[in-house]
Amino acid sequence: LIIVARQPAAARSFDADAGGLSKRVYRWAEHTGELELRIDAPTEEAVFAEALTAFAELVADDGSADAEREEVEIEAHDRETLLAEWLNELVYLADARAFVPERLTELRLEGTRLRATLRGHRGEPRPLVKAVTLHGLSHEGDDELGWHARVVLDV
Amino acid sequence: MSEARRIGDALWEIPASARPGMRVPARVFADDELFEAIARDGSLEQIENVATLPGIVDAALAMPDAHQGYGFPVGGVAAMELPDGVVSPGGVGYDINCGVRLLALPLAEGELGRRREPLVHEISRAVPAGAGKTQGRGGRVAEIDAVLRNGPREFASDEDIERTESGGCLPGADAAAVSERARERGDGQLGTMGSGNHFVEVQRVERVLDEPAATAFGLREDQVTVLIHSGSRGLGHQVCTDYVKRMDAAMQRHGIELPDRQLACAPASSPEGRAYLAAMAAAANFAWANRQAIADLVRGAIARVLGKPVAKGTGQVYDVAHNVAKAETYGGRRLLVHRKGATRAFPAGSDEIPEPYRAVGQPVFIPGSMGTASYVLAGEPGSMELSFGTTCHGAGRTLSRTGARKQIAGGDVRRQLEERGIVVRCPSNKGLAEEAPFAYKDVHRVVDVVARAGLARPVARLTPLGVVKG
Repeated sequence: LIIVARQPAAARSFDADAGGLSKRVYRWAEHTGELELRIDAPTEEAVFAEALTAFAELVADDGSADAEREEVEIEAHDRETLLAEWLNELVYLADARAFVPERLTELRLEGTRLRATLRGHRGEPRPLVKAVTLHGLSHEGDDELGWHARVVLDV
Repeated sequence: MSEARRIGDALWEIPASARPGMRVPARVFADDELFEAIARDGSLEQIENVATLPGIVDAALAMPDAHQGYGFPVGGVAAMELPDGVVSPGGVGYDINCGVRLLALPLAEGELGRRREPLVHEISRAVPAGAGKTQGRGGRVAEIDAVLRNGPREFASDEDIERTESGGCLPGADAAAVSERARERGDGQLGTMGSGNHFVEVQRVERVLDEPAATAFGLREDQVTVLIHSGSRGLGHQVCTDYVKRMDAAMQRHGIELPDRQLACAPASSPEGRAYLAAMAAAANFAWANRQAIADLVRGAIARVLGKPVAKGTGQVYDVAHNVAKAETYGGRRLLVHRKGATRAFPAGSDEIPEPYRAVGQPVFIPGSMGTASYVLAGEPGSMELSFGTTCHGAGRTLSRTGARKQIAGGDVRRQLEERGIVVRCPSNKGLAEEAPFAYKDVHRVVDVVARAGLARPVARLTPLGVVKG
């Protein structure tokens, strides 16, 4: 897994198995009607990677191949909206293209723009997540103290 | 919560003075126990937030099945004065026109006998959840456009159309207001159930509680019925996503400040408001077509298991929307009524009700949790005075999905239901655990509250024979 930081000068890459990304840093908080995703991660990029891992848990089917590739390019007016848009892209890929994500091969953040390459397979993603809401949406932090995000998914 | 006071037998009020920004009071239909559950999970704060929306009249309302949602609580109702009051896509929800349709078979449970399990099995084979692109009805662009404009009128019988809220077609639908991405998501999804709390349930009329209304609805004790719960699938979800985004970006221009971004809204008369209402109507029509397609698939399954005459005699009682915004008139005022997890419940005499039901009131269906009872109600005059012609829509969750999963395994839910003689078809044990009956409020209590408040009266109680879930 290659993670490219948003500032080229601070570009860094690390292996998911050796670095912090393999550590499970997302959880589902209590929400009566929907699913509330909370992410704590060491870097901003890791928040997006964790969001993918959490989403993959929800839509996983019996398949495990990663023969298919999807590319995502999005832009938003602020950081938290970018996170919601990222998850919205994953919802769209699952619903319209039957894409079950397996892993991230590239993630590039530049301000509030994101480019990512995903590997996965065409399958039967569980049609659970309807949409990504803006309710209580947050994504803030820094690389010293860590990043924290909250997103409520309509299910 | 401390500001809430009881103002009626089953009605509570939080005054507009409780919080800065509230334009009207917030009212909750509940008894003590339901009010406590509603107050516990943040729903009161959400209904107070709704009370801040520009153009809202009288009060922001929560039904007794209300629970925490996003923006509006689920079970929330708000009426905005037209033309300049706001429309909020989040106040309708992502699953535009999620709703329920009840079919009545010309058959008693005793006549079903051993064919019950094969029937449930055949329905589960016939109605896909909608995962992937291999299932569901084909989606030629021309077909989708026609459905967006006309709903199930494209392929349903006149009898079914007559027994569908708004005749299955909201006025003002504009297919051009629906994005390409929404169409892509809807492609192939007509006739699919979806996941989460959606289901097709085979039931028996356990008890008739109002003989004249039950007779008008074509229901009698021991009769077999099928209740279908689904919505506008990916198409509607994307319409809401598109317009929440568009309105979120336009809030500053309209000079609207909100306590929650998900309440993003715009005056109904603005370009954004008009475009959303046109797209929402199209998505609502798609949802009615989806439930029609599911009903057709169910009738096909009935024909294969019980024979063609039974399928032919399977009538539609009615179809109601749970998530929609509609222009209606109350006290001479033209209002846009947002129902988010709530059901229209017009009383006897309304010309919006099919002629055969006009003397008894509009049918309303209240699904209980999986494995418990569901109710058929009829709209009462109190709904026009107190709740913009609205009643509740279900039992309402009381426990989160994760909370439910912590308490029970899906396999145990399956076993418990089967021990009670209920046939279960669900591909996901996790999904079954999330929908465990104890995760919901007591449906009997919810129905008791709307009856006491005079919003709707019980007509029949239905109990499950088999459940198919996505």
